[in-house]
Amino acid sequence: MKSRRDFLKTGVAAGAVLSLARMGRIFAAEPAAAAAPVAPTPGNRPVLVAVRDGSRAAMLDKALASLGGIGAFVQPGQTVLIKPNIGWDAPPDRGANTHPELVGHLTQLCLAAGAKSVSVFDNTCDQWQRTYANSGIEAAVKEAGGHMVNGKDATMYREVAIPRGVALKTAKVHQLVLDSDVFFNVPVLKHHSGALMTAAMKNLMGVVWERDVYHRTDLQQTIADFLTLRKPTLNILDAYHPMVRNGPRGRSVDDCVEKRMLLASTDPVLIDAAAARILGHEPAVVTHIKLAAELQIGEMDVARAEVRRLSLA
Amino acid sequence: MRRHWLRTVRWVLAGALLAGLTGAFLDFRGLEPAPLAHWLAAVQFLPSLVALATGASLALAGLVILAATLAGGRAYCSVVCPLGIFQDAVSRVSNWVRRRHPRLPHRPAATWVRQAFLWATVAGIAAGWAGLTLSLLDPYSVFGRIVSGLFRPVVTLINNALVGPANAAGLDAFYRVEPQWAAAGALAVPAVMLLLITGLAAWRGRLYCNTVCPVGTLLGLVARHAALRLEIDESACTKCGDCLRACKAQCIDLRSSAIDFSRCVACYNCVSACDQHGITYRFAWRRSAGKPKSETRLVHRSSASEGGNSKLDSRRRAFLADSGTAVLAVAGVAALLAPRTGRAAAVATPVGGAPGAAGPLPGHEASRGICPPGAAGVDRFLDRCTACQLCISACPTHVLQPAFLEYGFAGVMKPRLEYAVAFCNFDCRRCAEVCPDGALTLLALADKQVTRLGIARLDLEKCVVKSINKDCAACSEHCPTKAVDTIPYGDNLRLPQMHDELCIGCGACQFACPARPTPAITVTGHRRHDRAQKKIEKKAEAPQSSGDFPF
Repeated sequence: MKSRRDFLKTGVAAGAVLSLARMGRIFAAEPAAAAAPVAPTPGNRPVLVAVRDGSRAAMLDKALASLGGIGAFVQPGQTVLIKPNIGWDAPPDRGANTHPELVGHLTQLCLAAGAKSVSVFDNTCDQWQRTYANSGIEAAVKEAGGHMVNGKDATMYREVAIPRGVALKTAKVHQLVLDSDVFFNVPVLKHHSGALMTAAMKNLMGVVWERDVYHRTDLQQTIADFLTLRKPTLNILDAYHPMVRNGPRGRSVDDCVEKRMLLASTDPVLIDAAAARILGHEPAVVTHIKLAAELQIGEMDVARAEVRRLSLA
Repeated sequence: MRRHWLRTVRWVLAGALLAGLTGAFLDFRGLEPAPLAHWLAAVQFLPSLVALATGASLALAGLVILAATLAGGRAYCSVVCPLGIFQDAVSRVSNWVRRRHPRLPHRPAATWVRQAFLWATVAGIAAGWAGLTLSLLDPYSVFGRIVSGLFRPVVTLINNALVGPANAAGLDAFYRVEPQWAAAGALAVPAVMLLLITGLAAWRGRLYCNTVCPVGTLLGLVARHAALRLEIDESACTKCGDCLRACKAQCIDLRSSAIDFSRCVACYNCVSACDQHGITYRFAWRRSAGKPKSETRLVHRSSASEGGNSKLDSRRRAFLADSGTAVLAVAGVAALLAPRTGRAAAVATPVGGAPGAAGPLPGHEASRGICPPGAAGVDRFLDRCTACQLCISACPTHVLQPAFLEYGFAGVMKPRLEYAVAFCNFDCRRCAEVCPDGALTLLALADKQVTRLGIARLDLEKCVVKSINKDCAACSEHCPTKAVDTIPYGDNLRLPQMHDELCIGCGACQFACPARPTPAITVTGHRRHDRAQKKIEKKAEAPQSSGDFPF
């Protein structure tokens, strides 16, 4: 058992060294729309689009329209990664995972915009085949024409350095995060018993191989540190039916409340700061939001952002 | 050689059954439907007898097999028993490799060896060691362990080697799977049995079935009194020996033109091989007064040197011996079915003790091996489980691993939950869905979700939150019942807290705990399962906010 794991570690480390040459690609390959830390706006204020009272798909359409359409993020021929939260073996109405309607619709939009491929994965907490199937995401993505990728295949993770990380100096990161042209982070908003809440930043724990390292090192700092490696092209938060207690796994639909909201921003810190308010927290109380702002990953003061509040009611 | 239709039917049925069961035991991706795996296993003879005792489905399969054998011989051994079919496949491959079909001469039955194994089986069951005895000698379980423990990881590795080329060719359906190797101690018995059975099959066909296998011996006893028996038509027989060459059981004696139907596995190779149509089924009950030609006693003492009177004596002795064995077999089955009380079970389990207490809950006895939900408890489980390992192959998380000595000697190779590998998926019941004999009862999902296998014990001194003063709560995050939640601690931190009454011992917390060298939260197994409480909560209320958006 131990020797096999060690073998894998050595193998992945060796692979990481070999792939150092490719590291430049992570940033070089990012599309123009995502190259800047925030979307260009008057006074260079970061933009947060908040939509409410529509279906998830309709709210996504509305948010994207406000940001210049899907074409502002996906160019024809590009490879797209969508990273939803697919952590738990639970049906969509439990709110434990991103809703399949949202993931399926985004997959469709990317392909319609000419994406070469759309891949979806998560390093799940529960058994992965069951989780992919029972979350409804596998069916939705396949129907839309995307690929579900095995997140439990150690050979798909490469060890990379995180030079700006405070506690997290290296991580084994899924190759799709390192190599995809476009990277959509599509979390669901939930209470979290350890991190207090989980939204955009916490969702990216699901692209690293060894989550226990985060927990063993400093959960809140490592969550923030990872964002210094690669920020998603766009973050889209499913806050339709957020889980407000017993998170992140939840026990029943009773743990969720109906908010019918969707947030979108290129700034993961800003989106999490607004999301904290939905759960009734001051953003600074959520430690990883505060730490990420200190690392200048994004803006935690919603008042200093351009917030576009849209309603479909 | 023309193919007799009986042989063709045997081929088709045996091929389908072997493919279905091998698939179920190799199923590293969970592709085979659980009901199919369950049914193919539940029609096996000894599992169905255990099912008679547990009340599981297809409990009557064993009686049907006995009736079929009494009607026309041991077709079970050729068509249903996967170990038997596997031996036929081994013989075939071995003949092909050696480029010859060896002629196996007639050999007398190894009567005393056969009887010794049957006696040992019955004695084992009667002595209260049914679980151990059956796990060692049930042919279906012997087969299952070989495929699950030895072949499955190899097939997984082959799959992994094919993933690259397959994906490059555009076949998305292939993906890598971590091969599951059982502990060496749990693999020793299957490895030895694989060598023994492969060797015997390559050397002398169905020797194992007619020497060691207690099911073969028991069904042989019945077959010898079958209504329809294969017999040699002396008027047609030219003593060419084609049937001998075809017989894998070495049970055709051409000198006396007799077939030992107790060893015949009803493969119909001889029927196909005989160009003279000289071997056919004959109704044998009508002329039971005279000595039938085909009769060769299980107790093989009649020989040419004995005179007429002693022939009569030997028949009487043989009859008595048969009767004795039959009584023995019935006693064995009865012992298997007899209700067992097991250890005295406390009705209500008090939950108490100080938080952070170690060991089992009050009123419980600890068990190093943790048995799966539906087992009801270690004692009942070890008594019923034949260690076929179908559940181990079917378990999607691989938390089920074959035991070495965690349950003691009686539990070697039986499934146990290993939380260093994975944890029991809250919404999954696949182990009980496939279990052929009711060793694991298929509980309603709501019942499974409150079935307590053990109790998680939290040692806060080892907990990351206390030791490095940072947030963690991986245990609480994974806990499906919220037996572990968190309370405010220190400077805006969250510290895990146990609610013993909610814990079902699924191991999610232990698996997730990052504390090293040992987890800060570990499950102590209970020898007897009982019910945990379920957390009752009202519908959650939305946090207070004003306006359309709270920001």
